[in-house]
Amino acid sequence: MEQHNRFWRVVLLAAPLGVFGIFVLWPLFSSFYYSLTDWNGFDPNYSFVGFDNFAKIASDRLFLQAAINTAIWMVAAIVLPTTLGLALALLLDSRVLGARVFKSIFYLPICLSAVIVGQIWIWIYQADWGLLNTIITEVTGEKYKYAWLAKPDTALWSVIVAWSWQQTGLAMVIYLAGLTAIPGDLLEVCEIEGATPWQRFRRVVLPLLAPSTVVVVALSVINSLKGFDILYIMTGGGPFNSSDTLAMHMYNESFKKYLMGYGAAISVVLFLIAMAIIGLYFRQLRKVDRIYG
Amino acid sequence: MADLAPQGRFNPWPATIFVILCVLAVLFLLPTVGVLLSSVKTTRDISMGDLWSLPASLYLGNFAEVLGNPAVHRYFLNTVLVTLPATAVSITLGALAGYVFAKLPFRGSNALFLIIVAGMFFPPQVILVPLFRMFNGMGLIDTLWPVIIVHSALGLPICALMMRNFFATVPNALREAAIMEGASEWQVLTRVVLPLSLPALAVLATLQFTWIWNDFLWPLIFTQSDDKRTIMIGIVNLKGQYSVAWGVQGALSLVASLPTLLVFLFFQRFFIKGMTMGAVKG
Amino acid sequence: MARVQLSDLRKSFGQVQVIKGLDLDIADGEFVVFVGPSGCGKSTTLRIIAGLEDATSGAIRLDGRDVTRTRPADRGIAMVFQSYALFPHMTVADNIGFGLQLQKQDRALISRRVAEVAETLHLTPLLTRYPRELSGGQRQRVAIGRAIIRNPRVFLFDEPLSNLDAALRVQMRLEIARLHQGLGATMVYVTHDQVEAMTLADRIVVFNDGRIEQVGSPMDLYEHPENRFVAGFIGAPAMNFLPVRVLGTQLEVPGMATIPVPPGKEAATELGIRPEHLHVVDGLSADLSGEVELIERLGAETYAYVRVPGLPLDLTVRLPGETALRARSSIALKIDWTRAKWFNASGRVL
Ligand SMILES: Nc1ncnc2c1ncn2[C@@H]1O[C@H](COP(=O)(O)OP(=O)(O)OP(=O)(O)O)[C@@H](O)[C@H]1O
Ligand SMILES: [Mg+2]
Repeated sequence: MEQHNRFWRVVLLAAPLGVFGIFVLWPLFSSFYYSLTDWNGFDPNYSFVGFDNFAKIASDRLFLQAAINTAIWMVAAIVLPTTLGLALALLLDSRVLGARVFKSIFYLPICLSAVIVGQIWIWIYQADWGLLNTIITEVTGEKYKYAWLAKPDTALWSVIVAWSWQQTGLAMVIYLAGLTAIPGDLLEVCEIEGATPWQRFRRVVLPLLAPSTVVVVALSVINSLKGFDILYIMTGGGPFNSSDTLAMHMYNESFKKYLMGYGAAISVVLFLIAMAIIGLYFRQLRKVDRIYG
Repeated sequence: MADLAPQGRFNPWPATIFVILCVLAVLFLLPTVGVLLSSVKTTRDISMGDLWSLPASLYLGNFAEVLGNPAVHRYFLNTVLVTLPATAVSITLGALAGYVFAKLPFRGSNALFLIIVAGMFFPPQVILVPLFRMFNGMGLIDTLWPVIIVHSALGLPICALMMRNFFATVPNALREAAIMEGASEWQVLTRVVLPLSLPALAVLATLQFTWIWNDFLWPLIFTQSDDKRTIMIGIVNLKGQYSVAWGVQGALSLVASLPTLLVFLFFQRFFIKGMTMGAVKG
Repeated sequence: MARVQLSDLRKSFGQVQVIKGLDLDIADGEFVVFVGPSGCGKSTTLRIIAGLEDATSGAIRLDGRDVTRTRPADRGIAMVFQSYALFPHMTVADNIGFGLQLQKQDRALISRRVAEVAETLHLTPLLTRYPRELSGGQRQRVAIGRAIIRNPRVFLFDEPLSNLDAALRVQMRLEIARLHQGLGATMVYVTHDQVEAMTLADRIVVFNDGRIEQVGSPMDLYEHPENRFVAGFIGAPAMNFLPVRVLGTQLEVPGMATIPVPPGKEAATELGIRPEHLHVVDGLSADLSGEVELIERLGAETYAYVRVPGLPLDLTVRLPGETALRARSSIALKIDWTRAKWFNASGRVL
């Protein structure tokens, strides 16, 4: 039997591991290699510069700004859609009238691409005739009109709002699935033991949703890393780099300034940050695994 | 969940929740309405700031322009040519890997699994440059191949993760019974385990289809000529062609979003089941 | 400890009435067992007592106080579910202490009470485990632990042992009996297991199709069923039913010589005889004779299924374990007429 198993492992894993190794792992290690060079992207002659690129990072003002923005972006882009999605799922789970219709409405934005979403929200934030300012003007007069995307203090958060709008639906459907999977008798125990609605949510429902949360967070992380698209379209990192993220910074250094080596060094740092997040994530995953098997 | 309101009295919660949901639904729909509005207005109206008002008359010229444009047909064809194979391949690879990790674990398989899953947590830009070099060396730049390949490879981690979780819920006894009946591992996978995982496959197919269809980065990098571009690039390119052809862009955006919407509506009924099977154990 | 009274309890799900008017008075400290065929409304009744379902009409009183509209938590009732309903994300200790934690009781007090309860249920070494790391019997004990920690007035059990293997079932049955003696609480217990019902119950309530057929002590129901349903339901293997016809003063039983109608049984249409009240005799004194179709040997006793010419169904006969009978051998049976039950056309016992 063991021999049979070994044979099939090799057969079944060959294709996935091959593809993954060649098109993901290998380029990843190449990136590490380029980060130690001064390659400019087209010149076949480049030299090995050791950790110079990383030393340069330390003195790069824009890098720090971008790193902070990346942190803000990652946390907000994970937390906001997740909480909002959970809230919607809880509301929809109470078998409200028209739940199916609501569900489709909230999911709809997921079907749109970042390109389209970016464009819509540019129209919403538009300074003169954008929807937001139109409404604000109706209610409060001209006083609170604001150039949301053009001002450094609101640009990043404006994009985060757009992003949350798009991503909430996904968290919602996953949580809805999770809620239906909670055994009814566990909730009945809460009733018999006299849990308040808050206690029931906090001590029973939320922990029981942990497996869903694992999936929601995984998908949110993946998507927020892709969030390059929407930032690129809505602000391009501006104004004055106020919504610059590491991915954008790396893109600019690599493809606009042709500093591929330096860009690669930034991507290595970005990779390390991502790894730290994965570490946390897997620790949580192990705990969930112990409980739910 | 059972409601907790005191029994026998009027329960205000359903009505309150309904109202809250209605308000949220309107807020959620507003941006989408923006696209709808832009698609039935002339670019001239929009550039004069008249986007958010209800149109006096429906202008269908944008749709006519989009649907009659051979370049748009080409964009659509290219997107289909990328999305369908990449979705199928990434799910197939994920199913193969997920099956081994769920049903044929070995020493070190957990570590290997972690490495693969870690593959979904780094920004794809990190490997952009090396990939470009690689495909350039293979002479595949400005074809659809690199886009298909990269989507298949980058979709693998999430597919492997979810398929492993789905497969883990299929009782081992089923596999063992099939093997006792003389089925090969391949037959166990294709005849027993996969048919049981159809809802899960539907969920994964929906997600992968949506992501790949909507992607903008990879076709932007790997294709250059207009007849190799996909629809999302097409939308952005419209900007270039007519300065900003907002109305046409809106119409094209709407048309471009239809396939993902249809896929979701079609697979929607599997969502709860698929998600609960794989994601929500216990 | 409490008295539980149900009066004219009814419950409908949509158009379908599943509880059709129950009246039941359960004394303080009594152990009452609900039995009945699947779908007859046992669980529903239990859940109405718990407050998990609203009664459509009728009232529930605990110690005389009307609790029909009281929230489950305020009724002072504990319930043990068939599925155990343990929280997978909480350790055994947290599962048991859940109710007290909800009440924001003092931590030291909670852990002391949890320790006490764990001690009674032999759970002390398992307190830090998660439910999925426990066996079925251990899970069941945790579920019971969660029920007893709050000193509830009434315990409700819905088929608590049906997921356990036979040996564990016996062990847990004794455990529950011990618990009942120790706590002296009122207990309502649903089961499909005759042995559980007979051994645990002070009184058994036989349900059928949303109504109570009969209430009584186990022996009472066994000896004096009021109708054909109860007679057939209580006792395993089930009672044999023979169609009879009264012709003037004579009684006709298929496969048997006619006998005089016993006094008071003139309206009889059916005769009921328990398997243990048929005795193997030699041919002369026999009431019935036939051929053994099948023999089931259980060790301590043996069941023979006997084909009697003229009878629509095989007769079940209970025999000692070491009988020499085999399939296909002929057999002669004598009826213990003193224990026979007579039923009229509407199923009443005469
Ligand atoms: N929530 C519900 N909605 C509709 N019908 C229900 C509901 N719950 C129970 N019923 C119906 O009520 C009847 C009684 O159900 P109940 O669960 O009380 O039976 P039971 O006696 O406990 O059966 P079992 O021995 O199989 O557990 C059944 O016919 C069942 O189909
Ligand atoms: Mg039941």
